[in-house]
Amino acid sequence: MTQSRAQDTDLAGQLFASRERYRALVAAALDCVVAMDHHGRVVEWNPAAERIFGWPADAAMGQDMAELIVPPALRASHRAGLARYLAGGEPVVLDRRIEITAMRRDGSEFPCELTITRIARPGDPLFVGYLRDITRRHVAQAELVASRARIVAAADDARRRIERDLHDGAQQHLVGVALTLRLARRKLEQDPALAAELIDEAVQDLATATHELRELARGIHPAVLTEGGLEPALAGLARRAGVPARVAAAPPERLPAAVEVTAYFVVAEALTNVARYAGKGARAVVSATLEGGRLVVEVRDDGLGGADAGAGSGLRGLGDRVSAVGGRLRVSSPPGEGTILRAELPCGS
Amino acid sequence: MPIRVLIVDDHGDFRRRARRLLEADGLEVVGEAADGASGIDAARRLHPDVVLLDLQLPDTTGFVVAAEIANGTPAPPVVITSTREGSDFEAMARRNGARGFLGKAELSGAALERLIA
Repeated sequence: MTQSRAQDTDLAGQLFASRERYRALVAAALDCVVAMDHHGRVVEWNPAAERIFGWPADAAMGQDMAELIVPPALRASHRAGLARYLAGGEPVVLDRRIEITAMRRDGSEFPCELTITRIARPGDPLFVGYLRDITRRHVAQAELVASRARIVAAADDARRRIERDLHDGAQQHLVGVALTLRLARRKLEQDPALAAELIDEAVQDLATATHELRELARGIHPAVLTEGGLEPALAGLARRAGVPARVAAAPPERLPAAVEVTAYFVVAEALTNVARYAGKGARAVVSATLEGGRLVVEVRDDGLGGADAGAGSGLRGLGDRVSAVGGRLRVSSPPGEGTILRAELPCGS
Repeated sequence: MPIRVLIVDDHGDFRRRARRLLEADGLEVVGEAADGASGIDAARRLHPDVVLLDLQLPDTTGFVVAAEIANGTPAPPVVITSTREGSDFEAMARRNGARGFLGKAELSGAALERLIA
């Protein structure tokens, strides 16, 4: 008798321990785990649900789930769906992840990822819902879409600018050369001296056109970067910058093309900003160093400071470019104390 | 009587060279304008025999200016020009009231005369 009593107690103890373990699993979940019976009333409400929806469990239990967490505009279809399912209809929302709008106790709504499943057990159906607040995911997705659109627009703008530079610059010069040479040809016999002058003029125009084309090509993609890497390319940028600039450090080795191109355009844009915004007498120092698998690119100036990342200084486009290679861009620009622009670009190896 | 030409183009270098070439061909350049509005104005005031009109102007396009001039009184013949390819623009030039299209590199007095004949 005592034996079976002891056995019973032992079994009960094991059941209790097992049940407690499962309760702990649900209680510890970061996602909401809630359940409702076939009347739509709350029968389970885990601590995450308490936190996210704002209802303590004892207030939520027994309440109508729709009243509690479904926005008013969506309640009718929630109830209709449940009724249809109970009447033998096909389940529409069971066993898959769906995105819905849920409602907190204070009436505020938020985007939510939801899975509903039916608990297999004898008797009346029991529905369990797993819910996750995906507000942050939506914000991140919106930013991703926006930044993609910005990048495409920037590429289109760059192409338009190239076309315009070609048209207004090199093409006009070449047309001018054509007109001059045709006139020289016409005057060759009757006025050789004038023809000679015109030919000299044409030679001069060709030199100008060639120079402009070279500059344009460098703006599109600098050959020195492809052929020599960052060391000579950054030196070239510093030399041609609109402010005194020097390169304190540059990696002598070659890096992945995407990293080199990004670093190049970060420095080019930063130096343009220094020339434009840092004020008279500002000087710039450029450095690019490898630190723990990343290329750290810095452009510092000792000018006015107070740089605004939003205000059309091209910093947002730079941010997009740097993010696109998985890097990070930071600007530190206290007013009156100069500006430091720093990009960290992962190097893959 | 030399043919009287009005040049409308925002590139000063082109206006200078075009003038030089056309004058060497025996035409008379009676005026120059650097944008659409002053081009339309000059066409009305100066009564040229032909207006040499660039497609790309700072304030408008050559097509718009050509249509304006064609609707005015007097309505001198307009020849539209550009560094761009003629084949793309011939039809549009005519639709806007111009006599035709002439690439800048092909400019000559004879070519202009042929177009306005």
